[in-house]
Amino acid sequence: MSGIAIAILGATLSALLGGTGSALGVMYAGKAAAGVTSEKPELFGKMLVLQALPGTQGIYGFLVAVLVMVNTGILGGSPADLTMAEGWGYFFASLPMAIVGLTSGIAQGMTAASAIHMTGKQPDASGKGITMTAMVETYAILALLTSILLIFSL
Amino acid sequence: MIAPMKKVSLVCMKEDREKLLSALQHSELIMLTEGEGGRSGDDRDSTALQRKADTLLKELSKFTKKKGLFEALPEVDRKDFDVISESAVDEMSRLEEAFKKKDRLDSEINGAVDKLSELTRWVHFKKDVSLLGESGYTVTLLGTVPVKNNESLLEIESLGTEELYRNEKECVVLVSFIKSEDVTKTLRELQFEEAKLPIKSGVIADEVKSLEAFLTEKKKEREESISELSDLANKSKADVELLFEQYRARSELSEIRLPETLETVVFEGWVREDEIERFKEAVKEATPLFDVEIRDPEEGEEVPTSLTNKKLVSQFEGITNMFNSPKYGDYDPNAVMAPWYWIIFGMMMGDAGYGLMMAVFILLGKKLMKPRGETAKLMNVMLYSSITTIIFGVLFGSYFGEELFPSVLPFTAMEDPVKMLIITIVVGVLHIFTGMITKIVLLIKEGLWLEAIFDQVSWMMIILGIGFIFLPNMTTAGIVIAVIGALIVLLTGGRSKKGILGKATGGIISLYGITSYFSDILSYSRILALGLATGVVGMVMNMLAGMIQGSVIGFILSLLIYVIGHVFNLVLGLLSAYVHDCRLQYIEFYGKFYEGGGVPFRPFKIRTNYINIKKD
Repeated sequence: MSGIAIAILGATLSALLGGTGSALGVMYAGKAAAGVTSEKPELFGKMLVLQALPGTQGIYGFLVAVLVMVNTGILGGSPADLTMAEGWGYFFASLPMAIVGLTSGIAQGMTAASAIHMTGKQPDASGKGITMTAMVETYAILALLTSILLIFSL
Repeated sequence: MIAPMKKVSLVCMKEDREKLLSALQHSELIMLTEGEGGRSGDDRDSTALQRKADTLLKELSKFTKKKGLFEALPEVDRKDFDVISESAVDEMSRLEEAFKKKDRLDSEINGAVDKLSELTRWVHFKKDVSLLGESGYTVTLLGTVPVKNNESLLEIESLGTEELYRNEKECVVLVSFIKSEDVTKTLRELQFEEAKLPIKSGVIADEVKSLEAFLTEKKKEREESISELSDLANKSKADVELLFEQYRARSELSEIRLPETLETVVFEGWVREDEIERFKEAVKEATPLFDVEIRDPEEGEEVPTSLTNKKLVSQFEGITNMFNSPKYGDYDPNAVMAPWYWIIFGMMMGDAGYGLMMAVFILLGKKLMKPRGETAKLMNVMLYSSITTIIFGVLFGSYFGEELFPSVLPFTAMEDPVKMLIITIVVGVLHIFTGMITKIVLLIKEGLWLEAIFDQVSWMMIILGIGFIFLPNMTTAGIVIAVIGALIVLLTGGRSKKGILGKATGGIISLYGITSYFSDILSYSRILALGLATGVVGMVMNMLAGMIQGSVIGFILSLLIYVIGHVFNLVLGLLSAYVHDCRLQYIEFYGKFYEGGGVPFRPFKIRTNYINIKKD
């Protein structure tokens, strides 16, 4: 019966850690972007795109949380009667997104900050900066896929 | 396609320099290479005026309406741009006058406020100020002492002290005494502070009254001048903006460094071969006295790349340029990349509702903003991609995150993500194969048949073979194809190495390259992940809105959630799709066949921020 609580723990962790990772990442990027914008306000648009990039982990984490909620019936209003094993299943399935969401969010924020500095010096290089920053996100995407595939197979 | 280029050297008389430069600036046909040891022109006036207009515009922005985000820039005819209008210059000096007037009023008001605050402290002294100070043997002083010292001050007999006012901290006192060093010293010990009055005569209260009257009057004047200023600012902002652009264009002209002789100047630069005639026309129009020499690029020269793609493909050029411009004399990958970018973008968004929203927003944006250059191209890329987004949305059965109509495919991503994953992987393989086939074509064009078979075909066989293994009845065929491919790699991978041992290990090491192909192909799983992300977030928005739809107020709120939620999701989805589609092209696709490294052709032209110049 208490399996549902463990499933909720998984959902919460993935929203929580993914969100934290993104918040930190967007903060790092935002600080750098504010610095560049103070000198070159015309680059605000490019800065905004780069700053938004580390924000996806929070969304992925939220996504996994929602999928757990949908699959366990929490969002439908009638939570399923999960066994302990099933509960742990959802918990472990949420872990990739939770942990990689946290670490890659921070890492991507730092990369974004560097890309922002580069764009500040060479506005034409913003595309290269975006690509470099997106490289980090690959691993968040793989973690998301792992979590999704696991949740769907439960 | 990459346009052939010609190097042009144009010689003209020194006095035609500005005229010709201006003509070239408007024609936008030549990319000037500034000669070494060249001299720049001298147009300090324009540079100074440009700065003046710039500062004025910054000041103006405090008084004018902000420009709307979707407001288009005003258009100016080329002929009008060349002439600086007298009335605009007048407007500018009137604005400057108005600012000066406001500044003067500000400083007058500040001065009066300071004086007033100084005087009100001493307003309890009712007599004429001229009574203060030394007269003959006696001294009369107005000042303050701390409250605690007031008693001791009153006790001094040689001092006539009159307390005028007291608050918690200090007393305002009037002291009179016969001039003596001792008294002055005592006063200092008691921390007596003499009043520093800003007036020499008259009654303080009267002075305060007249100052207050003066202030009200000046403040009214200031308000009038501000409203006048903001009227003027809103009216003539466009004029000043145009002036700024005109001065800037002139000042930039004068900054170009050109080699010159006693009587002539030399312009050197690159012009597209197909535009040479137009270039000559433009020069002829500016001056009849010139000599032009046109030649092909020489070995070792850095030739800029200008692309001549059909309109559809040319919109995607910006995506390649962001990675690396094609090199002159190399090949242009845009025609192969564009359709793939288009398809993958649609798959990543994968929602018919969002595709429709994209189309509507972008068409609206194009109408309102009238974008130009790179922005316009990017918007077109998105507009084209809205078509694939709708197509894949219908295929996947996704409409604003809901399955409003049954999907064309027999399953949806939510029902069977593994099947969808396989589809994205197959798309990835096809994409990568396109890159490899392009490489094969390029190698064969150079006559490198064996390279094409050893390094490209072999790998395609391995990937294809492994794919066949998973198909029913194809397993054996798959294994055979894959093994043949692997053998080719094993036997030829080390062909450039020396010695038998080197060749053998080289082959084994190149076979290890399977990991990079593997990770490249798996990278396409992001198509599924991004599609799911867009779909699920959209679904959550619908769910949230559905939860509160019980009452009338709830229904209105739910509409708000629908609108904000879906727009938010669309913007995020667009950003992700744009970024990750680019990444797939740069790393997975271009990694197979394209290097680039060219300099984009940037013709000499007028840069503008506030206006667009209409071409004739």
